[in-house]
Amino acid sequence: MAGGVPTWEEVARDHGRFLYNVAYRLAGNDSDAQDLVQEALLRVRKGLERYQPGSLEGWLARIVTNVFLDEVRRRRRRPADSFPEDPDWVIPPAPAADEVSTGFSDEVQAALAALPEEFRSAVVLCDVADLPYEEIAESLGVPVGTVRSRIHRGRRLLRNALVSTEETA
Amino acid sequence: MSARPAPDDRLSAYLDGELDAAERDAVDGYLAESSEWRAGRDEVAFARDALRGLPVHEARAGFWEEVLSPDMAEVRARRRSRVPRLTAAATAAVAVAAVVVASLVIPSPNRVTPRVPALSDSHAVRTSVSDEPVSQLATLSMVTPFRK
Repeated sequence: MAGGVPTWEEVARDHGRFLYNVAYRLAGNDSDAQDLVQEALLRVRKGLERYQPGSLEGWLARIVTNVFLDEVRRRRRRPADSFPEDPDWVIPPAPAADEVSTGFSDEVQAALAALPEEFRSAVVLCDVADLPYEEIAESLGVPVGTVRSRIHRGRRLLRNALVSTEETA
Repeated sequence: MSARPAPDDRLSAYLDGELDAAERDAVDGYLAESSEWRAGRDEVAFARDALRGLPVHEARAGFWEEVLSPDMAEVRARRRSRVPRLTAAATAAVAVAAVVVASLVIPSPNRVTPRVPALSDSHAVRTSVSDEPVSQLATLSMVTPFRK
């Protein structure tokens, strides 16, 4: 690491686990999470020269969230671009047969994947990436008040989904 | 005494430590006085704890080796360059389709194609009967009256 700025390989090695987890919570499935991580690392590679030493994981969370939201917008503009191998992009995915079921965590993940993207990204940046509201606002390009509202509404929707899942079970 | 508001997004900000001192004091007051506010806080806290309690989701085995391999960098670069090519091809296809549709839909200018042989034949027939070639030059339907 020269002068406090890591190389992209160091970023991938040291913070890849964090990056992948945020990507997975945003996308809701491994196939899309892998694409998000690879695209995010390309942006990291390009942007490292401009990186100001600080909260590296905050910076990574912002990049991967922007990649996610760019992809959401792209697919909305051109729905035919949805790849055949990722039909779960919009529909909350069911856990794959070879995945070990973790019970409540699966329910939380399914409820999270069902949230509208603007609520999901705010909630993930807050509760998964652990960013302060001001950084979330900067990442999403919205005022802090909007972030506060989205986090609150996202959590309420998620809570209602979890409660109704338990009632139907 | 001002009326107590309904529970709102200050509850999430309260749990996240994102309120200033005045707002925090206000929420503390509402929570002390109101079961509705306490229920709202508990609901939001339930979702917050559920999200924060999610385990770290790991990538499949071998994913990071692929990402960090030099070959993979080339694959990624190819994938990126494929996108503009696909976009250009799609744009060209749309342009061609638009031209074809336009040529089918937009009406062409009216063309007058007088049936000269047929008119000539009918004129010959009429003149052969009436023996007046000049007055039979035009059929009755083609006579256009002059107006002042």
